[in-house]
Amino acid sequence: MVTVGMLAAATAQAAESGSEPVIPPQVDRRDVHIPKISANDVEIGAFVGILSVQDFGAKPSAGLRLGYHVTEDFFLEGTYGRSTVSDQSYRRLGIAIFNSEEVPLTYYSLSVGWNLFPGEVFLGKNWAMTSAVYLVGGVGNVNFNSENHVTYNFGIGIRVLPVDWFSMRFEMRDQMFTSDLLGKNELKHNFEMTLGAAAYF
Amino acid sequence: MRAGREYVDGLRFSVRMGTAEGSRHACRGNPNRLAAWCFCVLVALALPAFADEPHERVVVADPYLELHTGPGRAYPIFDIAERGERVEILKRHTDWFKVRTARDKEGWVSRAQMEATLTEAGEKKTFRDVLFDDYLARRMEFGFAFGSLNHDPLLSAYVGYRLHENIDVELTIAQSAGDFSTTSLFYISLVSQPFPDSRWSPFFSLGAGRFTNTPKSTLVSAIETRGGLANAAIGLRYYVTRQFFLRVEAKKHVALIDYNRTDDYTELSAGAAFFF
Repeated sequence: MVTVGMLAAATAQAAESGSEPVIPPQVDRRDVHIPKISANDVEIGAFVGILSVQDFGAKPSAGLRLGYHVTEDFFLEGTYGRSTVSDQSYRRLGIAIFNSEEVPLTYYSLSVGWNLFPGEVFLGKNWAMTSAVYLVGGVGNVNFNSENHVTYNFGIGIRVLPVDWFSMRFEMRDQMFTSDLLGKNELKHNFEMTLGAAAYF
Repeated sequence: MRAGREYVDGLRFSVRMGTAEGSRHACRGNPNRLAAWCFCVLVALALPAFADEPHERVVVADPYLELHTGPGRAYPIFDIAERGERVEILKRHTDWFKVRTARDKEGWVSRAQMEATLTEAGEKKTFRDVLFDDYLARRMEFGFAFGSLNHDPLLSAYVGYRLHENIDVELTIAQSAGDFSTTSLFYISLVSQPFPDSRWSPFFSLGAGRFTNTPKSTLVSAIETRGGLANAAIGLRYYVTRQFFLRVEAKKHVALIDYNRTDDYTELSAGAAFFF
């Protein structure tokens, strides 16, 4: 637009003086560039916590999370975690359930979250952090003792953002699956309490 | 270069660790490890290229823009930008835009209000058009689904790339943990959408890949089966927003077990996906 205007002015000037313009205008069409606004809808984080596997006690767990915030209300999230399970208490009674006393446990899940109570958390007089209490639920898989089980999870958590690109969260989740490991096929409730930190990209 | 080599060594190391651990616990391949790798690949894909571009500026065309303290309708309005004022767009989070006003105030503005602003370069083009171009430029999608494979629960995730208005190519991994065995599927498919612009968009797909079936280790004569896989599906997408959609599909898988034996499985699933 501006270049075209300048060209017009230059041509008018040239016509006025009746001679060639001193500087021949080199007109290039300017590329119309589509503005790119960086979005930070992807949340990548890690967590540590305690996973209690029904009938087998509680052990530390750790893992990774990848989330995508679709709207201000909903997000999708993938979780991968590791922990261990121990049959120590059964071994004390002379019954071994696993091949070794402690076996690794890995799980993954895909869940949908709903930011139920968005709000702010105030620290002192000058610092307000955005926060949300959310509900989360989904499906996944758990692998331990060389067996896979489909899991259904449901939980509640709170997320606090000290700055726009960083979040911290505390979460309680029940990861349910059916297992016949102790002779009867039944639904097992496995509670996990985690503390996580994540960055937005 | 050095870092690259270290990374490769690390990869080999972890693969080796994987086999050692696997044999110790008499576990034939752990599909969850595959999920972990996919997770890492997705993380790598999600990391955007950090280019230090100047922020976009727009001119307020409505009587005023409301600045919220956070990216959501519930956060209080603490300031405004008046008509004719130029504001800088810092970033976007879901449907909210973080802007800086001429008076150096930073706050979050809803998409509905941003759509009524004008872009600085050639005031003909509204921000609404710009947003629309941005949505059309997205070619990658990611989704997951839950369903059944011959009555066993099935969990799947896919990454798609739009080759053409009507044609997508998708990479899918799926896992089904049944009562007696676990089946893992990995395949690539071509998806055709005859009406890509419609809110309810039907699709057809054809795919090919591999499958692995691992029986529970407690079963006698448990033999792992591997083979080729071919499938065909019909399905329907429903666009909830321009970026987010739900999909349901019915898929027929044919497992090529050996030279003269095939098996077929029916998959019914429903899930969610989004463009990024």
